[in-house]
Amino acid sequence: MTASHILKLVKYLVYSGVLILAAGCATTQNNVSENSHDPLEPANRTVFNALEKLDKQFIKPVAESYVSLTPVPVRTSISNFFDNLSYLNVIFNDFLQGKFEQGMTDMLRFAYNSTFGIAGLFDISTPIGMPANSEDFGQTLATWGVNQGSYLYLLGPSSTRDITDQVPSTLLNPFFYFSSVVMAPISVLNAINTRANLLEKSNIRDEAALDAYSFTREAYLQQREFKVHDGNPPASGYDDIFNDASDIGNTDDNKESGMLVIE
Amino acid sequence: MKLQHQYLLITTFFISFFCFSKMIWAGVDREPSINVPVNELHASLLNIMKDVSTKSFQERYNVMEEVMVTHFDIPLIAKVILGRYWKTLEKKEQTDFIDSFNRLTISTYVNQFNSYNGELFRTLSIEQMKKNRFVIKTEFVRIDDTPVSFNYIVQNNKGAWKIISVIANGINDLSLKRADYSSVIKKRGFDSLITSLKQKISNIQPK
Repeated sequence: MTASHILKLVKYLVYSGVLILAAGCATTQNNVSENSHDPLEPANRTVFNALEKLDKQFIKPVAESYVSLTPVPVRTSISNFFDNLSYLNVIFNDFLQGKFEQGMTDMLRFAYNSTFGIAGLFDISTPIGMPANSEDFGQTLATWGVNQGSYLYLLGPSSTRDITDQVPSTLLNPFFYFSSVVMAPISVLNAINTRANLLEKSNIRDEAALDAYSFTREAYLQQREFKVHDGNPPASGYDDIFNDASDIGNTDDNKESGMLVIE
Repeated sequence: MKLQHQYLLITTFFISFFCFSKMIWAGVDREPSINVPVNELHASLLNIMKDVSTKSFQERYNVMEEVMVTHFDIPLIAKVILGRYWKTLEKKEQTDFIDSFNRLTISTYVNQFNSYNGELFRTLSIEQMKKNRFVIKTEFVRIDDTPVSFNYIVQNNKGAWKIISVIANGINDLSLKRADYSSVIKKRGFDSLITSLKQKISNIQPK
Protein backbone atom coordinates (compact mmCIF):
# COMPACT_ATOMS: atom_id res chain seq x y z
CA MET A 1 0.00 0.00 0.00
CA THR A 2 1.29 3.40 -0.89
CA ALA A 3 1.27 6.41 1.40
CA SER A 4 -1.82 7.80 -0.28
CA HIS A 5 -3.66 4.57 0.46
CA ILE A 6 -2.71 4.66 4.10
CA LEU A 7 -3.86 8.22 4.22
CA LYS A 8 -7.19 7.27 2.67
CA LEU A 9 -7.57 4.42 5.13
CA VAL A 10 -6.86 6.67 8.11
CA LYS A 11 -9.33 9.20 6.77
CA TYR A 12 -12.05 6.56 6.51
CA LEU A 13 -11.35 5.18 9.97
CA VAL A 14 -11.44 8.60 11.59
CA TYR A 15 -14.55 9.48 9.64
CA SER A 16 -16.48 6.43 10.70
CA GLY A 17 -15.17 6.68 14.25
CA VAL A 18 -16.50 10.22 14.49
CA LEU A 19 -19.81 9.17 13.04
CA ILE A 20 -20.30 6.31 15.45
CA LEU A 21 -19.59 8.72 18.30
CA ALA A 22 -21.98 11.21 16.78
CA ALA A 23 -24.64 8.54 16.56
CA GLY A 24 -24.23 7.91 20.25
CA CYS A 25 -24.45 11.61 21.07
CA ALA A 26 -27.22 12.42 18.63
CA THR A 27 -29.65 10.01 20.17
CA THR A 28 -29.28 11.46 23.64
CA GLN A 29 -29.46 15.20 22.97
CA ASN A 30 -32.69 17.12 22.46
CA ASN A 31 -33.94 16.60 18.96
CA VAL A 32 -33.94 19.65 16.76
CA SER A 33 -36.53 18.08 14.51
CA GLU A 34 -39.63 16.43 15.96
CA ASN A 35 -38.93 13.32 13.95
CA SER A 36 -37.20 10.76 16.10
CA HIS A 37 -35.26 9.28 13.18
CA ASP A 38 -33.81 12.55 12.04
CA PRO A 39 -32.19 14.80 14.64
CA LEU A 40 -29.71 15.93 11.99
CA GLU A 41 -32.47 17.15 9.69
CA PRO A 42 -31.32 20.75 9.14
CA ALA A 43 -27.81 19.68 8.13
CA ASN A 44 -29.18 16.77 6.10
CA ARG A 45 -31.57 19.02 4.21
CA THR A 46 -28.78 21.41 3.31
CA VAL A 47 -26.68 18.63 1.83
CA PHE A 48 -29.73 17.10 0.16
CA ASN A 49 -30.74 20.33 -1.54
CA ALA A 50 -27.20 20.99 -2.75
CA LEU A 51 -26.80 17.49 -4.17
CA GLU A 52 -30.25 17.53 -5.77
CA LYS A 53 -29.34 20.72 -7.57
CA LEU A 54 -26.08 19.20 -8.79
CA ASP A 55 -27.93 16.09 -9.83
CA LYS A 56 -30.62 17.89 -11.75
CA GLN A 57 -28.22 20.17 -13.59
CA PHE A 58 -25.40 17.80 -14.28
CA ILE A 59 -25.40 14.21 -13.06
CA LYS A 60 -28.87 13.17 -14.17
CA PRO A 61 -28.52 14.51 -17.74
CA VAL A 62 -25.18 12.73 -18.06
CA ALA A 63 -26.75 9.48 -16.82
CA GLU A 64 -29.63 9.87 -19.27
CA SER A 65 -27.24 10.40 -22.18
CA TYR A 66 -25.30 7.37 -21.06
CA VAL A 67 -28.49 5.31 -21.11
CA SER A 68 -29.45 6.47 -24.58
CA LEU A 69 -25.97 5.89 -26.00
CA THR A 70 -25.16 2.56 -24.37
CA PRO A 71 -26.98 -0.64 -25.34
CA VAL A 72 -28.62 -2.55 -22.50
CA PRO A 73 -26.31 -5.61 -22.62
CA VAL A 74 -23.27 -3.34 -22.31
CA ARG A 75 -24.74 -1.51 -19.33
CA THR A 76 -25.66 -4.85 -17.76
CA SER A 77 -22.07 -6.04 -18.11
CA ILE A 78 -20.76 -2.82 -16.61
CA SER A 79 -23.17 -3.20 -13.68
CA ASN A 80 -22.13 -6.82 -13.26
CA PHE A 81 -18.46 -5.84 -13.29
CA PHE A 82 -18.81 -3.32 -10.48
CA ASP A 83 -21.22 -5.50 -8.50
CA ASN A 84 -18.69 -8.30 -8.64
CA LEU A 85 -15.85 -6.06 -7.44
CA SER A 86 -17.86 -5.17 -4.37
CA TYR A 87 -18.89 -8.74 -3.66
CA LEU A 88 -16.01 -9.52 -1.28
CA ASN A 89 -17.72 -7.16 1.16
CA VAL A 90 -20.92 -9.21 0.88
CA ILE A 91 -19.00 -12.40 1.65
CA PHE A 92 -17.26 -10.75 4.60
CA ASN A 93 -20.56 -9.62 6.08
CA ASP A 94 -22.22 -12.99 5.43
CA PHE A 95 -19.74 -14.60 7.81
CA LEU A 96 -19.93 -11.80 10.36
CA GLN A 97 -23.68 -12.36 10.52
CA GLY A 98 -23.26 -16.10 10.96
CA LYS A 99 -24.71 -16.87 7.55
CA PHE A 100 -22.14 -19.54 6.81
CA GLU A 101 -23.99 -21.39 4.10
CA GLN A 102 -24.75 -18.17 2.31
CA GLY A 103 -21.10 -17.15 2.72
CA MET A 104 -19.92 -20.33 1.06
CA THR A 105 -22.36 -19.94 -1.83
CA ASP A 106 -21.34 -16.32 -2.22
CA MET A 107 -17.68 -17.30 -2.37
CA LEU A 108 -18.53 -19.70 -5.17
CA ARG A 109 -20.52 -17.03 -6.90
CA PHE A 110 -17.61 -14.61 -6.76
CA ALA A 111 -15.18 -17.24 -8.01
CA TYR A 112 -17.41 -18.35 -10.90
CA ASN A 113 -18.28 -14.84 -12.04
CA SER A 114 -14.69 -13.67 -11.80
CA THR A 115 -13.33 -16.56 -13.84
CA PHE A 116 -15.93 -18.07 -16.15
CA GLY A 117 -17.88 -14.82 -16.07
CA ILE A 118 -14.78 -13.05 -17.38
CA ALA A 119 -13.76 -10.65 -14.62
CA GLY A 120 -17.35 -10.34 -13.49
CA LEU A 121 -18.70 -8.97 -16.77
CA PHE A 122 -21.14 -11.83 -17.05
CA ASP A 123 -23.31 -13.02 -14.21
CA ILE A 124 -23.31 -16.75 -14.87
CA SER A 125 -24.03 -17.66 -11.26
CA THR A 126 -27.63 -16.46 -10.98
CA PRO A 127 -28.99 -18.82 -13.66
CA ILE A 128 -27.30 -21.77 -11.94
CA GLY A 129 -28.93 -21.11 -8.59
CA MET A 130 -26.54 -18.66 -6.94
CA PRO A 131 -28.27 -15.28 -7.11
CA ALA A 132 -26.75 -12.14 -5.67
CA ASN A 133 -27.19 -11.41 -1.99
CA SER A 134 -27.12 -7.98 -0.48
CA GLU A 135 -25.20 -7.68 2.76
CA ASP A 136 -23.23 -4.81 4.19
CA PHE A 137 -21.71 -3.77 7.47
CA GLY A 138 -24.76 -1.72 8.42
CA GLN A 139 -26.88 -4.86 8.22
CA THR A 140 -24.24 -6.75 10.18
CA LEU A 141 -24.39 -4.19 12.97
CA ALA A 142 -28.18 -4.48 12.87
CA THR A 143 -28.02 -8.22 13.44
CA TRP A 144 -25.68 -7.54 16.34
CA GLY A 145 -28.36 -5.34 17.91
CA VAL A 146 -27.22 -1.87 16.88
CA ASN A 147 -30.21 0.23 15.96
CA GLN A 148 -30.49 2.47 12.94
CA GLY A 149 -29.00 5.56 14.61
CA SER A 150 -29.69 8.94 13.05
CA TYR A 151 -30.59 9.45 9.43
CA LEU A 152 -27.61 10.91 7.67
CA TYR A 153 -27.55 12.34 4.18
CA LEU A 154 -24.04 12.64 2.77
CA LEU A 155 -23.52 11.30 -0.72
CA GLY A 156 -26.98 9.81 -0.66
CA PRO A 157 -29.31 8.53 2.02
CA SER A 158 -27.61 6.69 4.86
CA SER A 159 -27.54 6.60 8.63
CA THR A 160 -24.94 6.90 11.33
CA ARG A 161 -24.94 3.13 11.59
CA ASP A 162 -25.00 2.26 7.89
CA ILE A 163 -22.31 4.71 6.86
CA THR A 164 -19.77 2.55 8.67
CA ASP A 165 -19.98 0.19 5.73
CA GLN A 166 -17.75 2.61 3.84
CA VAL A 167 -14.73 1.20 5.65
CA PRO A 168 -14.93 -2.52 4.86
CA SER A 169 -16.46 -2.00 1.46
CA THR A 170 -13.61 0.28 0.41
CA LEU A 171 -10.87 -1.93 1.84
CA LEU A 172 -12.37 -5.06 0.28
CA ASN A 173 -12.72 -3.56 -3.16
CA PRO A 174 -9.71 -4.65 -5.23
CA PHE A 175 -9.70 -1.39 -7.15
CA PHE A 176 -8.88 0.56 -4.02
CA TYR A 177 -5.35 -0.73 -4.39
CA PHE A 178 -4.79 0.57 -7.90
CA SER A 179 -3.27 3.94 -8.58
CA SER A 180 -5.51 7.00 -8.70
CA VAL A 181 -4.73 7.50 -12.37
CA VAL A 182 -6.45 4.22 -13.18
CA MET A 183 -9.10 4.65 -10.50
CA ALA A 184 -10.43 8.05 -11.54
CA PRO A 185 -12.09 7.26 -14.87
CA ILE A 186 -13.31 3.90 -13.56
CA SER A 187 -14.88 5.59 -10.53
CA VAL A 188 -16.60 8.07 -12.80
CA LEU A 189 -18.00 5.26 -14.92
CA ASN A 190 -19.19 3.52 -11.77
CA ALA A 191 -20.91 6.68 -10.58
CA ILE A 192 -22.66 7.32 -13.91
CA ASN A 193 -23.73 3.70 -14.25
CA THR A 194 -25.09 3.67 -10.69
CA ARG A 195 -27.03 6.86 -11.35
CA ALA A 196 -28.41 5.36 -14.56
CA ASN A 197 -29.65 2.32 -12.66
CA LEU A 198 -31.46 4.61 -10.23
CA LEU A 199 -33.22 6.69 -12.87
CA GLU A 200 -36.44 4.71 -12.68
CA LYS A 201 -36.65 5.04 -8.91
CA SER A 202 -35.82 8.72 -8.93
CA ASN A 203 -38.46 9.36 -11.58
CA ILE A 204 -41.09 7.65 -9.46
CA ARG A 205 -40.03 9.80 -6.54
CA ASP A 206 -40.10 13.00 -8.55
CA GLU A 207 -43.56 12.16 -9.78
CA ALA A 208 -45.14 11.22 -6.46
CA ALA A 209 -43.28 13.11 -3.76
CA LEU A 210 -44.27 16.55 -2.53
CA ASP A 211 -41.27 16.77 -0.26
CA ALA A 212 -38.51 14.74 -1.89
CA TYR A 213 -36.33 14.86 1.21
CA SER A 214 -38.89 13.20 3.53
CA PHE A 215 -39.88 10.76 0.82
CA THR A 216 -36.26 9.68 0.28
CA ARG A 217 -35.61 9.35 3.99
CA GLU A 218 -38.69 7.29 4.67
CA ALA A 219 -38.09 5.01 1.68
CA TYR A 220 -34.45 4.53 2.67
CA LEU A 221 -35.19 3.66 6.31
CA GLN A 222 -37.91 1.21 5.36
CA GLN A 223 -35.79 -0.45 2.73
CA ARG A 224 -33.01 -0.96 5.28
CA GLU A 225 -35.47 -2.79 7.54
CA PHE A 226 -36.45 -4.91 4.57
CA LYS A 227 -32.80 -5.76 3.83
CA VAL A 228 -31.88 -6.48 7.43
CA HIS A 229 -34.65 -9.06 7.45
CA ASP A 230 -33.53 -10.33 4.04
CA GLY A 231 -36.78 -9.46 2.34
CA ASN A 232 -39.03 -10.97 4.96
CA PRO A 233 -39.78 -8.45 7.66
CA PRO A 234 -42.20 -9.61 10.34
CA ALA A 235 -45.72 -8.88 9.18
CA SER A 236 -46.56 -7.53 12.61
CA GLY A 237 -44.62 -4.39 11.74
CA TYR A 238 -46.89 -3.51 8.84
CA ASP A 239 -49.83 -2.20 10.76
CA ASP A 240 -47.99 -0.17 13.41
CA ILE A 241 -49.01 2.89 11.44
CA PHE A 242 -52.65 2.13 12.19
CA ASN A 243 -51.96 1.91 15.89
CA ASP A 244 -50.19 5.26 15.69
CA ALA A 245 -53.34 6.91 14.42
CA SER A 246 -54.96 6.07 17.78
CA ASP A 247 -58.49 4.91 17.09
CA ILE A 248 -58.73 5.99 13.49
CA GLY A 249 -57.18 2.90 11.98
CA ASN A 250 -58.96 0.38 14.13
CA THR A 251 -62.38 -1.13 13.72
CA ASP A 252 -64.12 -2.38 16.84
CA ASP A 253 -62.57 -5.78 16.40
CA ASN A 254 -59.07 -4.42 16.35
CA LYS A 255 -59.14 -1.75 19.04
CA GLU A 256 -56.08 -1.69 21.22
CA SER A 257 -54.52 0.96 23.36
CA GLY A 258 -52.72 2.81 20.59
CA MET A 259 -49.45 4.67 21.06
CA LEU A 260 -49.76 8.35 20.33
CA VAL A 261 -46.84 9.28 18.11
CA ILE A 262 -45.55 12.83 18.32
CA GLU A 263 -44.75 13.80 14.78
CA MET B 1 -47.75 -57.16 -7.70
CA LYS B 2 -51.07 -58.61 -8.92
CA LEU B 3 -53.00 -56.43 -11.36
CA GLN B 4 -56.04 -55.90 -9.09
CA HIS B 5 -53.73 -54.85 -6.27
CA GLN B 6 -52.17 -52.28 -8.55
CA TYR B 7 -55.58 -50.90 -9.47
CA LEU B 8 -56.51 -50.79 -5.78
CA LEU B 9 -53.33 -48.92 -5.00
CA ILE B 10 -53.87 -46.40 -7.77
CA THR B 11 -57.51 -45.82 -6.81
CA THR B 12 -56.60 -45.37 -3.15
CA PHE B 13 -53.91 -42.96 -4.16
CA PHE B 14 -56.28 -40.83 -6.22
CA ILE B 15 -58.99 -40.82 -3.57
CA SER B 16 -56.48 -39.78 -0.90
CA PHE B 17 -55.05 -37.13 -3.16
CA PHE B 18 -58.51 -35.77 -3.86
CA CYS B 19 -59.45 -35.66 -0.17
CA PHE B 20 -56.11 -34.19 0.80
CA SER B 21 -56.32 -31.39 -1.74
CA LYS B 22 -59.87 -30.65 -0.67
CA MET B 23 -58.50 -30.29 2.86
CA ILE B 24 -55.79 -27.90 1.74
CA TRP B 25 -58.13 -25.81 -0.33
CA ALA B 26 -60.72 -25.73 2.42
CA GLY B 27 -58.04 -24.24 4.66
CA VAL B 28 -56.98 -21.60 2.17
CA ASP B 29 -60.47 -20.87 1.07
CA ARG B 30 -61.64 -19.84 4.54
CA GLU B 31 -63.15 -16.69 3.21
CA PRO B 32 -63.12 -16.32 -0.56
CA SER B 33 -64.06 -12.63 -0.60
CA ILE B 34 -60.76 -11.76 1.12
CA ASN B 35 -58.96 -12.29 -2.14
CA VAL B 36 -61.27 -10.11 -4.18
CA PRO B 37 -59.72 -6.63 -3.71
CA VAL B 38 -56.18 -7.76 -4.52
CA ASN B 39 -57.23 -9.98 -7.42
CA GLU B 40 -59.35 -7.23 -8.91
CA LEU B 41 -56.52 -4.72 -8.51
CA HIS B 42 -54.04 -7.04 -10.23
CA ALA B 43 -56.44 -7.86 -13.05
CA SER B 44 -57.08 -4.17 -13.69
CA LEU B 45 -53.38 -3.29 -13.58
CA LEU B 46 -52.62 -5.97 -16.17
CA ASN B 47 -55.48 -4.66 -18.29
CA ILE B 48 -54.26 -1.10 -18.32
CA MET B 49 -50.74 -2.33 -19.07
CA LYS B 50 -51.98 -4.26 -22.09
CA ASP B 51 -54.27 -1.47 -23.28
CA VAL B 52 -51.72 1.33 -23.36
CA SER B 53 -51.84 1.75 -27.12
CA THR B 54 -55.55 1.13 -27.55
CA LYS B 55 -57.02 3.12 -24.68
CA SER B 56 -56.52 6.77 -23.79
CA PHE B 57 -55.14 7.94 -20.45
CA GLN B 58 -58.65 8.93 -19.38
CA GLU B 59 -60.08 5.53 -20.24
CA ARG B 60 -57.38 3.73 -18.29
CA TYR B 61 -57.83 6.25 -15.46
CA ASN B 62 -61.52 5.34 -15.31
CA VAL B 63 -60.65 1.64 -15.01
CA MET B 64 -58.35 2.28 -12.06
CA GLU B 65 -60.75 4.75 -10.46
CA GLU B 66 -63.40 2.04 -10.37
CA VAL B 67 -60.95 -0.32 -8.64
CA MET B 68 -59.74 2.25 -6.11
CA VAL B 69 -63.19 3.38 -5.07
CA THR B 70 -64.54 -0.16 -4.74
CA HIS B 71 -61.61 -2.04 -3.26
CA PHE B 72 -59.57 0.49 -1.25
CA ASP B 73 -60.80 2.03 1.98
CA ILE B 74 -59.99 5.55 0.83
CA PRO B 75 -61.47 7.49 3.77
CA LEU B 76 -59.46 5.41 6.24
CA ILE B 77 -56.28 5.74 4.21
CA ALA B 78 -56.69 9.50 3.99
CA LYS B 79 -57.20 9.79 7.76
CA VAL B 80 -54.16 7.68 8.56
CA ILE B 81 -51.96 9.63 6.16
CA LEU B 82 -52.84 12.96 7.72
CA GLY B 83 -52.62 11.51 11.21
CA ARG B 84 -53.24 14.10 13.88
CA TYR B 85 -53.88 16.85 11.30
CA TRP B 86 -57.09 15.17 10.17
CA LYS B 87 -59.09 16.32 13.18
CA THR B 88 -57.91 19.92 12.74
CA LEU B 89 -59.48 20.16 9.29
CA GLU B 90 -62.93 21.41 8.27
CA LYS B 91 -65.24 19.00 6.48
CA LYS B 92 -64.64 20.72 3.15
CA GLU B 93 -60.86 20.52 3.59
CA GLN B 94 -61.11 16.82 4.38
CA THR B 95 -63.17 16.24 1.25
CA ASP B 96 -60.74 18.28 -0.84
CA PHE B 97 -57.84 16.25 0.46
CA ILE B 98 -59.52 12.90 -0.21
CA ASP B 99 -60.41 14.01 -3.72
CA SER B 100 -56.94 15.30 -4.62
CA PHE B 101 -55.16 12.40 -2.95
CA ASN B 102 -57.35 9.92 -4.79
CA ARG B 103 -56.75 11.54 -8.15
CA LEU B 104 -52.98 11.63 -7.62
CA THR B 105 -52.85 7.97 -6.56
CA ILE B 106 -54.91 6.80 -9.54
CA SER B 107 -52.91 8.94 -11.99
CA THR B 108 -49.66 7.54 -10.60
CA TYR B 109 -50.84 3.96 -11.07
CA VAL B 110 -51.92 4.66 -14.64
CA ASN B 111 -48.63 6.36 -15.39
CA GLN B 112 -46.39 3.72 -13.83
CA PHE B 113 -48.09 0.62 -15.21
CA ASN B 114 -47.76 1.69 -18.80
CA SER B 115 -46.27 -1.20 -20.75
CA TYR B 116 -46.79 -4.92 -21.01
CA ASN B 117 -44.06 -7.47 -21.53
CA GLY B 118 -45.42 -10.74 -20.22
CA GLU B 119 -45.61 -9.71 -16.58
CA LEU B 120 -47.91 -11.42 -14.10
CA PHE B 121 -48.92 -11.29 -10.46
CA ARG B 122 -48.56 -14.27 -8.19
CA THR B 123 -50.22 -14.58 -4.75
CA LEU B 124 -47.84 -16.17 -2.27
CA SER B 125 -49.60 -16.35 1.07
CA ILE B 126 -52.29 -14.93 3.33
CA GLU B 127 -51.50 -14.32 7.00
CA GLN B 128 -53.80 -13.19 9.74
CA MET B 129 -52.64 -10.15 11.72
CA LYS B 130 -55.71 -9.50 13.83
CA LYS B 131 -59.26 -10.76 13.95
CA ASN B 132 -60.24 -8.36 11.22
CA ARG B 133 -57.00 -7.77 9.39
CA PHE B 134 -54.93 -9.90 7.02
CA VAL B 135 -51.78 -9.39 5.01
CA ILE B 136 -51.75 -10.82 1.49
CA LYS B 137 -48.28 -11.37 0.08
CA THR B 138 -47.89 -11.34 -3.68
CA GLU B 139 -45.17 -10.75 -6.18
CA PHE B 140 -45.03 -9.03 -9.53
CA VAL B 141 -43.06 -11.30 -11.85
CA ARG B 142 -41.16 -9.69 -14.70
CA ILE B 143 -39.28 -11.36 -17.53
CA ASP B 144 -35.48 -10.90 -17.28
CA ASP B 145 -35.78 -8.89 -14.09
CA THR B 146 -36.09 -9.49 -10.37
CA PRO B 147 -39.66 -9.85 -9.05
CA VAL B 148 -41.17 -7.02 -7.02
CA SER B 149 -42.82 -7.96 -3.77
CA PHE B 150 -46.26 -6.41 -3.28
CA ASN B 151 -47.89 -6.99 0.08
CA TYR B 152 -51.37 -5.75 0.92
CA ILE B 153 -53.11 -5.22 4.21
CA VAL B 154 -56.84 -5.89 3.91
CA GLN B 155 -59.43 -5.10 6.51
CA ASN B 156 -63.11 -5.88 6.72
CA ASN B 157 -65.15 -2.71 6.74
CA LYS B 158 -68.84 -3.35 7.34
CA GLY B 159 -68.88 -6.64 5.48
CA ALA B 160 -66.54 -5.83 2.59
CA TRP B 161 -62.84 -6.59 2.56
CA LYS B 162 -60.82 -3.58 1.43
CA ILE B 163 -57.18 -2.77 0.93
CA ILE B 164 -55.84 -0.33 3.50
CA SER B 165 -52.13 -0.43 2.73
CA VAL B 166 -49.72 -1.41 -0.04
CA ILE B 167 -46.14 -2.40 0.72
CA ALA B 168 -43.87 -2.57 -2.34
CA ASN B 169 -40.47 -4.22 -1.76
CA GLY B 170 -40.73 -3.50 1.93
CA ILE B 171 -41.68 0.14 1.49
CA ASN B 172 -45.03 1.00 2.99
CA ASP B 173 -46.86 3.43 0.73
CA LEU B 174 -48.88 4.83 3.62
CA SER B 175 -45.85 5.61 5.78
CA LEU B 176 -44.12 7.18 2.83
CA LYS B 177 -47.00 9.50 2.07
CA ARG B 178 -47.56 10.32 5.72
CA ALA B 179 -43.95 11.43 6.19
CA ASP B 180 -44.06 13.34 2.92
CA TYR B 181 -47.38 15.15 3.48
CA SER B 182 -46.89 15.92 7.17
CA SER B 183 -43.59 17.54 6.29
CA VAL B 184 -45.38 19.81 3.81
CA ILE B 185 -48.16 20.69 6.26
CA LYS B 186 -45.66 21.46 9.00
CA LYS B 187 -43.53 23.73 6.82
CA ARG B 188 -46.09 25.37 4.55
CA GLY B 189 -49.56 24.61 5.85
CA PHE B 190 -52.51 22.57 4.66
CA ASP B 191 -53.51 24.78 1.72
CA SER B 192 -50.05 24.41 0.30
CA LEU B 193 -50.43 20.63 0.50
CA ILE B 194 -53.59 20.73 -1.62
CA THR B 195 -51.95 23.05 -4.12
CA SER B 196 -48.91 20.77 -4.40
CA LEU B 197 -51.13 17.71 -4.87
CA LYS B 198 -53.01 19.44 -7.68
CA GLN B 199 -49.73 20.49 -9.26
CA LYS B 200 -48.50 16.90 -9.24
CA ILE B 201 -51.75 15.68 -10.78
CA SER B 202 -51.52 18.12 -13.64
CA ASN B 203 -47.89 17.14 -14.21
CA ILE B 204 -48.87 13.53 -14.73
CA GLN B 205 -52.00 13.92 -16.78
CA PRO B 206 -51.41 14.35 -20.48
CA LYS B 207 -52.26 17.81 -21.79
